[in-house]
Order: sequence, then structure tokens, then C-alpha cells
Amino acid sequence: MRLLAEIALVVLAAIGVAGCASLLLGTPPTRRRRARAPAPPRPDQLVALERLTTSARTSAVHVHAYLRPVLVEITSGRLAAHGHNLDRMPELTGRALLGDRLWDIVRPGRPFPEDRRGPGVTPQELRAMLEVLERL
Amino acid sequence: MSALISSRTRGLIALAGAALIGALASGRPELALIAMPLLVFAGAGLVLAREPHLAVEIELDRTRLLEGEHAVATVRLRNDGGGAVLVEVALLRTRNLALEPVGAAGILLRAGVRSELTFAVRPQRWGAHAVGPVVVCARDLLGVTTWEGRLGGRVDLRAFPREQRLRELVAPLRTQPFLGTHVARVRGEGIEFADVRPFHAGDRVRHINWRATARRGVPQVNERHPEHSSDVVLLLDTFEEARDSAGGTLDDAVRAAAALARACLARRDRVALVDFGGTLHWLEPAFGTTQLYRIIDALLASDIAFSYAWRNVETIPLRVLPPGALVLAISPLLDGRSLAMVADLRRRGFDLTVIEVSPLDHVSPGESDDDAAAYRLWRLQREAIRARLQSLGIGVAVWGRDGDLGPALEGVNIFRRSARPAVHA
Repeated sequence: MRLLAEIALVVLAAIGVAGCASLLLGTPPTRRRRARAPAPPRPDQLVALERLTTSARTSAVHVHAYLRPVLVEITSGRLAAHGHNLDRMPELTGRALLGDRLWDIVRPGRPFPEDRRGPGVTPQELRAMLEVLERL
Repeated sequence: MSALISSRTRGLIALAGAALIGALASGRPELALIAMPLLVFAGAGLVLAREPHLAVEIELDRTRLLEGEHAVATVRLRNDGGGAVLVEVALLRTRNLALEPVGAAGILLRAGVRSELTFAVRPQRWGAHAVGPVVVCARDLLGVTTWEGRLGGRVDLRAFPREQRLRELVAPLRTQPFLGTHVARVRGEGIEFADVRPFHAGDRVRHINWRATARRGVPQVNERHPEHSSDVVLLLDTFEEARDSAGGTLDDAVRAAAALARACLARRDRVALVDFGGTLHWLEPAFGTTQLYRIIDALLASDIAFSYAWRNVETIPLRVLPPGALVLAISPLLDGRSLAMVADLRRRGFDLTVIEVSPLDHVSPGESDDDAAAYRLWRLQREAIRARLQSLGIGVAVWGRDGDLGPALEGVNIFRRSARPAVHA
């Protein structure tokens, strides 16, 4: 009985060694590295505007200091194409063309907000202003 | 080449060692018996292994091609001595160079035998590429010993940008007194009729307009516009680019610059090139085919160089910007320095046109609502920038990735007919 067990043990060991040897003698496994290409950098202009749209939600100061110059530049250019001048535009015409919220931000001579922690621009308001500008 | 014991031999030796230790630990000689063939195999392989003397040559069937075309790289292998080996060859190459077949190719090379492998090399972008050297991994037939090394030289492959054919170009406001194809505004010897005036002493008799003379009773002569050439400066903005997996604005800008240079030189203009970015490179204006190859060679070396340095027109040598030259600025209009440069050139009276290589094709909006709004805002801001340049009298041609440059330039010509001419240069 013991002899049979010893023979079985040696046979199992031989099978194991043969298996390992055949694996080693076979084709060596190739290392595959999954190359992940780095994401291309986004243009600085766009990154700055992405920061701007996020920060404009936080306070009225951000709207006045950072978002307003961009909106004024865009609005002036688009109004000029139709023969309007933003700096000399009457309030009624401005409100009719741009809507109340956009006019309130881009109107000439807009004072610095008294309440520095006042509300900024909500995403819905920003989308509405963009639609107005795209329609112009 | 450096010789190494192959990983499988190291594995076999480790396995045999484990079996021997097992035999000692368990007191069973059968395990040692199993380990013996492995040790004999590894030992025989190490003793019989003879280092091959490999030599490699790399040859390309052509060293200049257009982007998208392919060249055939032939790797010639020679085993000058030693034993037969299994050779795996991997061809090294620079970025933006695709290989077929991908990865290493294997071959059996006996002593004194020559063999060759071929690879298709396809540049995916214009530029100067390098093919080679090759990484060679040779194994003896038992696979016990390996020899590794880099062999062969480096072969340069230049991929020229694929150009569009341009039927119409921006007409210059001013011409130079050299023979060319532009009808000059001045009067002189030429073909294009300009006016009729009374005969003066010194006028050629062949210029007399006999019908006008018969009507007016005094001799009249025809005046004509001469055909002159113009100076064209290609200003390539390399401050910043927008890029995605399929390419970038600089790739498109170089293609546009090459097409414009070819078309301008074909109509006998003097063409200069200014690579305006983090680093400044320039080519002085010149005529002819030689200048075209100079420009294309310079374009192949152009790249985005990140820099905070402020640059303006005064950094460009005066001889590169001749008075009265037509300046074609090829730019994605992404950097404030290039915008300031364009406006400055215009204020100095240069006849200027901007070819805007649109970055919108290379950048997609972000996923969040804020990022999508920012993208819309960016598009509007770019239109405002364009409108500002046009208000200065600068024609702006917007050219997208898949668009045709010709119609964009035609739009500029229409704009220039109504725009203010340059005052002076």
C-alpha cells in the first residue's frame, strides 16, 4: 500500500514538473502594455471660459469682473453687425433686443455690485443669454 | 550584443533546483532523478551555444513621400559566424510612423546565410521621421541563450504635407516692379488696356490708337497696365494649437502654408516664411522652385514651442517683411500674442489676410452643463475676435479640417473689395 502511494507521488511530481517544463519551453508570453495616450490639452481660451462659467455661479463680483467683459465683447460685435452700438443703445431697445438679464449685465456704465456676495448667474440664465446672443 | 540566459532556461534551472531541494528534504532520490534531464538540457544548451555575428542594414525604397503614402523598409540580416539562431527583429521608429507588420518579426538564420525582412512604413503626419535602428533578439535553437542588441543605422524619411490645389489666391494690393502675373495698378508696358492719352514725344508708334486718333484729330496712344509680381510673407502661428487624436491645427496650418507657398511661387511671387511662436524662424523672400523646397523643409521642422516670452513685429527682421508685401497669417487665433501681432501688422499698414485654421473641429464640448455653456461662449468669443479683426480691415478666411481652402480665400477676396486698403507700408 505504501509502495503504491510512493509511486503515485512520484508520478504526480513528474507530471507537475513536465507540465511546468512544457509551459516554460512553449512560446514565452508577450507582455502587453495597454498604452493610454494622454488626453490632448484643451486650448487655454476654452479652459479659461470653463473656469469662468463655473465661477460666475458663485457671486455677483465674478459676474461683473470676469463674465461681463466677455459678454460685452461678444454682444458689441454681434450688435455692430446689425448697425447697433452697445455704448449708445437706449435702455428700451437694449432690453428688447437682449432681454432683461443680459442687458442688466452688459449695459454701459453698470456699477460694481454693492453686495459682493450677491447671487451670480444660474446655468439656466447663462443658457438663456447664450441663446439670445446666438440668435442676434 | 549582450548575451543572456533566457528566461525559460532560468525557469528550468529553478525548477530543477526545487526538485533537488525537495529530494533532499523528503529523502526521495526519485525527485532528483526527475531534475536531472532539466539540468542536462540547460547545461548542454549553455555549452553548445555560440554567439552569432549578426550584421544589419536598413534601406528604404524612397526617402521622400507625401503623408499617407507608404515606403518599404528592407531590413537585411547577415549571420557571419557562430551557430544558427532564431532572430526576432523589431524596427524602431519615431512617433507618427505606422509599421506593418506591427511588432517583431521572426526568422531562422543559419551561419553564413543572408536574409531580409520587409516592413511597410507609413507616416501619419508630415515631418522628418527616422526609421531604425532595429532591436535584435537572437536565440540559439535550444532557446537556452539569447543575445540582444541594437543594430543597423538610422534612415531619415521626410513626409511632405499633402497639399490642396488652389485655383485662386488673395490678390495683393501692391505689386513689385518684377515680371509676374498680377496686373499692376500703375501704367507701363503690358498687355492689359488702361487708358488712351495724347501722343507725347518718345512714345512708340506701335502704341498709337489709330481709331481714337482718327476721331480726335490728334495722335492718341494706348496706355497699359504692366504685369508685376508681388511679395508674399507666410506667417505661421506656432504659439498654441488645438489637437485631437486625428491631428491638430498645426498640421492643417502647415498643409495650408505649403499649398499657398506653391501657388504663390507658381505665379512668380517672392515668398518669405516666418514661423512665429515660442521660437522664431524665418526665410527671406525669394523666387522659384528652390525657395519652395526651402519653405517645405522649414515647415517640416515647425512645432509648437511653449513659451511665455512676449513677441511682436519688432522681433521679425525687416528684410523678411518687405514694404508692400502681402502678409498671409495662418493661425488658429488661440494666443493673445498672435492676435496682437496681427493687429500690429495691420496698424503698420501691411496688406494682411488671416487664414484661421479653425480649432473647433479639434475640440469637443465638455460633458457638464457648465462646460457645454463655456464651449458655446467660446464659439461666440471667436466670432467676436474675427469681427474685431475685420473691423481693422483684415480679411479672415475660416478654414476647417475637411473644408476646401479655395472657397475660404474667395470669401476673403470679396471682403477685400469693400475693405479699406492699407495706407502705407
